[in-house]
Amino acid sequence: MQPCSREMQAMNSLLSPTQPIPLQDLQPNGNSGTHQAQIHNPQFDPTSSHDDFLDQMLSTLPSCSWSDLKSPWDPPKSDETPPSNPDNNAGFHYDEILASKLRQHQINGGGGGTTAAMKMMMQQQMLLPGRPIAAAGGGGLTMPLHNDIVDGSSFKSPNQQGGEGSVQALYNGFGAGPLHGTNNQSPNQPQHFHHPQGGNMQTQSFGATAGTVMNQSQASGSTTGGTPAQPKQRVRARRGQATDPHSIAERLRRERIAERMKALQELVPNANKTDKASMLDEIIDYVKFLQLQVKVLSMSRLGGAAAVAPLVADMPPEGGDCVQTTAGGGGSLQRNSNGNQPSANNDSLTVTEHQVAKLMEEDMGSAMQYLQGKGLCLMPISLATAISTATCHSRNPMMNKGSSSNHPLLQSNGDGPSSPSMSVLTVQSATMGNGGLDGSAKDAASVSKP
Amino acid sequence: MDSQHLNPSSLKSRFTATFLRALIKINAQKPISSSSPREIFQRYRRIKVAADKSMAYSVRSRRTWSRATLWKLRSRSRSRLASSGRRSSVKTRTTTTTTTTTTATNHRAAIVEKTSHEKENKEDHVGLAVQAEELRELVPGGESMDLCNLLDETAHYIKCLTTQVQVMKKIANLYSLE
Repeated sequence: MQPCSREMQAMNSLLSPTQPIPLQDLQPNGNSGTHQAQIHNPQFDPTSSHDDFLDQMLSTLPSCSWSDLKSPWDPPKSDETPPSNPDNNAGFHYDEILASKLRQHQINGGGGGTTAAMKMMMQQQMLLPGRPIAAAGGGGLTMPLHNDIVDGSSFKSPNQQGGEGSVQALYNGFGAGPLHGTNNQSPNQPQHFHHPQGGNMQTQSFGATAGTVMNQSQASGSTTGGTPAQPKQRVRARRGQATDPHSIAERLRRERIAERMKALQELVPNANKTDKASMLDEIIDYVKFLQLQVKVLSMSRLGGAAAVAPLVADMPPEGGDCVQTTAGGGGSLQRNSNGNQPSANNDSLTVTEHQVAKLMEEDMGSAMQYLQGKGLCLMPISLATAISTATCHSRNPMMNKGSSSNHPLLQSNGDGPSSPSMSVLTVQSATMGNGGLDGSAKDAASVSKP
Repeated sequence: MDSQHLNPSSLKSRFTATFLRALIKINAQKPISSSSPREIFQRYRRIKVAADKSMAYSVRSRRTWSRATLWKLRSRSRSRLASSGRRSSVKTRTTTTTTTTTTATNHRAAIVEKTSHEKENKEDHVGLAVQAEELRELVPGGESMDLCNLLDETAHYIKCLTTQVQVMKKIANLYSLE
């Protein structure tokens, strides 16, 4: 049982008090919070790609609080409802990951029972809250132990019982002993359940009988599949032993997805969502934001002094004077961290501006959110233009707009029809100094005239 | 952070070296103070492409998204060379790019159609089909991957993007300081 021994060692190390430190190192991305400064892994190795069980366990360890895993053991019900307690999920993941890894090492062929048994064995050993119930109890637990990892509802039961209560159980054995026996037979379960004492002994015996149990479990697994019995039993069988290869594959798949989502959670800021869908939304927004940042940065690097920052600021129109400035002194990304303002001058770039505006349109909310999260902010264009007009030319390109006459407040409403939602552009406040604006407006007028 | 940056084999330093080289080349090609918006846009485009390309090079072919990006760039340049020749006017270049993009998109669309059916079956089970599709569009080369690998690629892609942004910010600072 090579994998078992390795896992045992891993567990031993796990239970040592020095967990936090190695955990950090073993995170797939190297560091959870400080990724900015410390992205130095040449290769990104998510734990799932490793065959290394240790990584998995260590990475998922902090998320599960074993004490929270206590909950009344539900008699085998076919509740597939996701547990209310997120910690349970975490614990489940942990167990599931272990289980899946173990499974991978094992003979998969038809050994649904075996894998389930092994998994359950591991689970109950992992869930160690000081429960007097012995591993045997956990064995009985097998029933509710369904292989649906993500739901984790079934784990409630294992938690209860699996509460091996003794750390020694962990050390002793990956004896899947009790699990197997109880898989198919309901009468056995109550017996196991009432086994609370002698946990150690039992675990030891489990370890001893692991081999035999495995065989048993295989047989039992097959029989379980064929046992029609009462509906209760059938349910139990289904949950405890997914002998169907499809469901096993499904389970594996879901486990992997959950792992990856967790890894992603650490990379993406504001990732405190527990819901998978919202987490994915966050991820999508973050990727869009990063891509937008690359675009903006490449635009701003077009030259030394006269860099271009055709950004747009989503400012509400002021008093009906909704002004649009194309590519204007754009609400440049003010980099608080560096204290540098990337660029003050703005040349008119209709095309780029449209592109960027389009991007910002979609993402504005999330973009702003991320900016704030990173300590950046979008500067209102009025402010930026104030700075730029102070220096020199603020060419407010009314390019194709053609329509604007010498309105003191630069109106470029030509944009309106083309992109209705582009009310996003600058706001030239009336206080901005009409003089400057007039000058620029005249400029614009001259420019725009064909 | 400096000590890490000095690590010659890290992703960051590899990317920085490649990108700086490309940037120097681009700056040498054209005068910085080009006024026409078209040219400026072209330059921006070239820089962005250079950034993405150098990032993909730094990752080599270890990742699907980098492979897809490199393939895209290469096919684009190849078709550009084939159809318009090296010294083409700006307009031609733009049109060629668009055509190439469309062909690439068509190709990708074919792949998507082929695999989307099975993908949807799987993902409906998990209930994340819509977002998965969106993510596929964002991450280069993500069309032909199941959700599991897609998430993997996304994580690595995010890491690389953050590196890219970091380096580019620093370079921009250097530029603005001059």
